[in-house]
Amino acid sequence: MTEQKENKETQSKTKEKQRFKTRVARFHDKYYKHLLLIPALILLFFFVYMGIFYSNTGDFIHRDISLTGGTTITVAFANIDLDDLKENLTDRFDSFNVREISNLRTRKQIAVVIETTTEPEEAKQALEDYFGFELTNENSSTEFTGTALSKGFFRQLLIAVLLAFVFMALVIFIIFRNFVPSAAIIISAFADIFMTLTFLNILGIQMSTAGIMALLMLIGYSVDTDVLLTNRVLKRKEGTLNSRIYSAFSTGITMTLTSLLAVIAALLVVSSFSAILTKIFTVLIIGLCFDLLNTWITNVSILKWYVVSKERD
Amino acid sequence: MKLKPNFTWKIWILIIAILLSLISVFGIPPVALQKGVLVTSVEPNSAAFEAGFKEKMIITAVDGQSVKDANEFSELISNKFRQTGNESIAVIFNTNLAEIVYFSNKLPEITFSDNLPSNLKFGLDLIGGSRALVQAEDKKLSSEEMRDLVDTTQNRLNEFGLTDLKVRQVSDLEGNQFMLVEIAGATPQDLESLISQQGKFEAKIGDEIVFIGGKRDIASVCRGDSTCARIDSPRQSGGGYVARFSFGITLSADAAKRHAEITEKLDVNSSNPQYLEKPLDLYLDDNLVDTLLISEGLKGRVTTQISVSGSGAGATAEEAFDDAEEKMHKLQTLLITGSLPFKLEIVKLDTISPALGGEFLRVIIIALLTAIGVVALVVFARYKKMKSSLALLLTSLSEVVIILGISVVIKWNLDLPSIAGILIVVGTGIDQQIIILDESRRGAFLSLKQRMKRAFTIIVGAYFTSVVAMLPLLWAGAGLLKGFAFTTIIGITTGVLITRPAFADMIRRIEE
Repeated sequence: MTEQKENKETQSKTKEKQRFKTRVARFHDKYYKHLLLIPALILLFFFVYMGIFYSNTGDFIHRDISLTGGTTITVAFANIDLDDLKENLTDRFDSFNVREISNLRTRKQIAVVIETTTEPEEAKQALEDYFGFELTNENSSTEFTGTALSKGFFRQLLIAVLLAFVFMALVIFIIFRNFVPSAAIIISAFADIFMTLTFLNILGIQMSTAGIMALLMLIGYSVDTDVLLTNRVLKRKEGTLNSRIYSAFSTGITMTLTSLLAVIAALLVVSSFSAILTKIFTVLIIGLCFDLLNTWITNVSILKWYVVSKERD
Repeated sequence: MKLKPNFTWKIWILIIAILLSLISVFGIPPVALQKGVLVTSVEPNSAAFEAGFKEKMIITAVDGQSVKDANEFSELISNKFRQTGNESIAVIFNTNLAEIVYFSNKLPEITFSDNLPSNLKFGLDLIGGSRALVQAEDKKLSSEEMRDLVDTTQNRLNEFGLTDLKVRQVSDLEGNQFMLVEIAGATPQDLESLISQQGKFEAKIGDEIVFIGGKRDIASVCRGDSTCARIDSPRQSGGGYVARFSFGITLSADAAKRHAEITEKLDVNSSNPQYLEKPLDLYLDDNLVDTLLISEGLKGRVTTQISVSGSGAGATAEEAFDDAEEKMHKLQTLLITGSLPFKLEIVKLDTISPALGGEFLRVIIIALLTAIGVVALVVFARYKKMKSSLALLLTSLSEVVIILGISVVIKWNLDLPSIAGILIVVGTGIDQQIIILDESRRGAFLSLKQRMKRAFTIIVGAYFTSVVAMLPLLWAGAGLLKGFAFTTIIGITTGVLITRPAFADMIRRIEE
């Protein structure tokens, strides 16, 4: 008796699911071209924003010390009131930035980090005056990067990103040997990176060498789901176009959501400890969110458009 | 259901790879179980240094009494030297390399820690140390000049007493050449000047050069021998203290002859007839370090023994003494190794304190475990299949183990970019395993084998896009981010060749 009931329940559930699927499919069939407007408008808005940003700052990103050059000093075993430190350093440094590193469990401060464009010797002196003890190699870390070198780093990392992008595009063309679908992948990968960069600017987050490394990671991550989608849609013959897209979607969304949640969890652990890892994870999170949009709207719509118009011919 | 070990060869390869990696990371017998204390640094030119203590040495016993850990060792030796006073005692240290007889009235000047838990090597940015990127000022060096620079610097740092260091030439995407100096562990305070100083030492009488630093003119330099190298007790001078140092050097025959020829022409000082009319001026990088009066008896004589001197200053007597000691040590080093034929500029200098290293690694491990835990939750929730999900997680973990194993074999230092690389490998690994898992449950009319083949066309495609995306990073930024590209490429290659095929077989076993 109960078994039958359960059976019925699951049956009605699958039916409902089926009905929902057809409704979504019908909606998608009707509006998939319109959906392209969403990423297109975002992209347009971001292009305008970037244009204004560039004309105001002369740069495409906010660069941090690792890309402009400067000194980072980390002082351990100090128990410092950050506000007081900030107030004190304002007269001595042209530009600086202060943050703290705290213990994971107790949240107690274990070090303070001061970033400034001042030369290391001068910066050290100023800090020694404030702290009242000598900064040695035991109680502090000093990282200094010259301006010329940082500029070189930045140029080369940009070249690295561009090359990576071009190589990736070539591999995509070789795999699919089909212009429109390959271009769709490349467009959505570009949109991922561009949207992420602009969004970082909007949030006022500075870019660092680590952040650029994260962009490189993003190329890999974003292309993964696009390759999966294109492969399922073009190289498979079974099922309708919509069912193939749906199957790719259910796999791809699991992939991206798993990555996203894992990165968010990792970010919660490392934030307030490692600036480098925090930056990498932040960029990845933003990038993965845009990847959801660009894979499942931008890429899907272009691909569907292509397949549908080809079928009509 | 019976548990049959019906593993396919692909699964066996994975198991063997994991075992080999575990062996390379932990060693056989496990290094963590080896008793003893690890020497982390030895004070240069100290009694301990002379006695033969070396970095990375493992001390197993003191005077026949075995030591288990750093605490025990510390207690043991401080007891031994507690009541020595001025009397030296001999203590025998058993180490993994040799037996050391240490004879002194002071504790050996070494730092030590518990033995390491594994063979893993970590980068300077995680465990502390220094890294300098050096470039010639306004000059592009030929590859030969670059080699000279690397050799001289290596030599200088070795003479200074630093042993655990790497000096090498690196270039970047734009063809700039740099010298990269990496020093593990504690850093000497004046590393900066040691590396970047041209170190041009000249001894002049008037405008004529008598001798310069380096092997050609200087046969030997007296160091660490109180009969010919000493520091006078500091004297009050102005508002602070000044301490003079002096040490003997032996000139080569040529330099000694030159000295004779030049002094031959000099007259005796009229107001101070003990000395010659002109002094011997010592210049370091064109700055006058000291002026020595030449005694009248040396006129025209071929002399090989010369005393070089200078002074240190400080607010207190102790500071002046330390300053003199440091300056003497540096001058000795520069005299031995000679000068560089061009001026240098430090374009990047990082000195990372070892203090935060341990905490840092702990945070990274927790982050990695948390991330994998979250993945586990998502995967269980999505597939509701215990076995497949477990296989997915174990395979991901095994990838980390294999990367670590390979890093030990090729002596790769895991720095922060490498750790980021491992994270991306785990991330893409899980993604691709999800593809395999999903493909295995799709397309019911296909055989499982065909379905797996489909999964692999996607995976191999994604693999190549990731690899090519990483290639430029091997050279960009003077290779400082190489670790990222390198671990990523190793990791995803391992993935495609070993772990993914094994995972596909596991899933096939589980699903069938």
